[in-house]
Amino acid sequence: MRTNILLISITTLIYACSPGRYVKPLEKKQQAVNVSLGGPLIKYGAATIPIPFLTANYGYGIDSTLTAFGSANITAALFGNAQVELGVTKQVLKQNKYIPAISISPVLNIIYKNKDAKKLYPQLAINAFWEYGKHKNLIYAGLDNWFELSSKRAYGINQPNHWIFMPMIGHSFNNKKWNFNLEAKIIAPNISNEILVVDYVTPFKTHGALGVYFGCTRKF
Amino acid sequence: MKLQMKKYILITVVITGLTSCFTLDDNLFNKSELTEYKLDNYSGDVDFHLDNSFYIQDTMVHLFTLNSKATEESNATTIYALYIGDISKIATDTVIMYCHGNKDHMDFYWQRAKLLANTKSKNRFGVMMIDYRGYGMSEGKPTEDGLYADVDAALKWLKGKGLSNDRLLMYGFSMGTAPATKLSAESYSMKPSKLMLEAPFASAETMIQDGSGLAMPGDFFTTLKINNAEEIKTVTQPFFWIHGEADDFLNIDTHGAVVYSHYSGTYKESHRIPAAGHSTIQTTMGFQPYLKLVGDFITQH
Repeated sequence: MRTNILLISITTLIYACSPGRYVKPLEKKQQAVNVSLGGPLIKYGAATIPIPFLTANYGYGIDSTLTAFGSANITAALFGNAQVELGVTKQVLKQNKYIPAISISPVLNIIYKNKDAKKLYPQLAINAFWEYGKHKNLIYAGLDNWFELSSKRAYGINQPNHWIFMPMIGHSFNNKKWNFNLEAKIIAPNISNEILVVDYVTPFKTHGALGVYFGCTRKF
Repeated sequence: MKLQMKKYILITVVITGLTSCFTLDDNLFNKSELTEYKLDNYSGDVDFHLDNSFYIQDTMVHLFTLNSKATEESNATTIYALYIGDISKIATDTVIMYCHGNKDHMDFYWQRAKLLANTKSKNRFGVMMIDYRGYGMSEGKPTEDGLYADVDAALKWLKGKGLSNDRLLMYGFSMGTAPATKLSAESYSMKPSKLMLEAPFASAETMIQDGSGLAMPGDFFTTLKINNAEEIKTVTQPFFWIHGEADDFLNIDTHGAVVYSHYSGTYKESHRIPAAGHSTIQTTMGFQPYLKLVGDFITQH
């Protein structure tokens, strides 16, 4: 029963692993539209491939340290699920030479299919970033955290994992109107991947998965 | 500038609106097609090989076709079936209906069926196996309703040969536990007298939750109604459950143990096999100890 069921594992896991949003807030009243593509790396036959995972995002700079954003998960839509992320990015510390700027991004991740199939996952990302060069390119690292609020799974079984954390590192190439972003994320290194059937590529072998993402942002 | 942004938003909305038709349902079926059945001469990948002591004479192996028609279908589908035993004695023999898993075809499961044909002694019990639609040489495309219709087609054939309910035993492995449980619980052509499940799954939802590590509703990904954990509640016949403790695909605690705990019929017995994986119960515990468990359940309860 193994092989083809792997798609279930892949798809459910990638729901939880979209790339980071607005590590650095937009300028005041600035707007941006972003599309990102990427997902966990898996071994598929002899090849290592990322699972394509598509999200679209809109952000608005409330002020120069606070950006509100919303994302729609296109992959989830393919399965008839409305999955949106609503959140803000707040910069709490300015960069001081080599000491990075710090931002936090609380997010509500909402998935809805029908009245019996709906979920809400709070997320909290903590980001450190450095701007450099005349284009103000960005290097960043951070920790994205997902929280599973349900205490029980199907048939009253205790839900074993309530915290899924995802260390990430990325780089953003910026110009006046466009940003291009590359990000790598280790997804759930605290959770065994041995029952997930899929051969994930991960530095931790039996735990988690390694995701890679490419993003493109148009600023207005 | 605003016009450009509207364009981006419009594209996003359109893409989202136009989609919403995918599910993972088809991924339940990991079938392979065949142009002929080779059984003992099959050289493809199998879970285990039996030695000559388990050999079944060619005269006791019967390959034939059946017509299977689900309730809502207008035309029947031709599926392949295998009967191990003496067809002329079905009216007096006890028969195990073996529902195989989701992989490949009957050639892959031949060794397992042949092993069951050695329960207690060689050909003591007849063994019936089919390839679900889309599997092996069977026509059509696999569906959930098709699984039930195909097994029911086998039961109709057995009934036509004179088999009675009290001499029919149902055995399901992995995905095959779904039709085995459903046809034991509900009214179909025959009502098996006993139910045996090897490495059963609880439901598609449990599979998704095990796979994701999150308590996600199964409806997010599948419309499959397969739910052994609920179906078993209406099974009253004696029930045998066997599961590998090291099953890294259908976890013994989240799948098999749930099904077992939901059974409330007349008699049940469980066999947790240490160190056995999803497909290695027989090889881990040994063929004869496995056959003894199965045989004792059939003859004593």
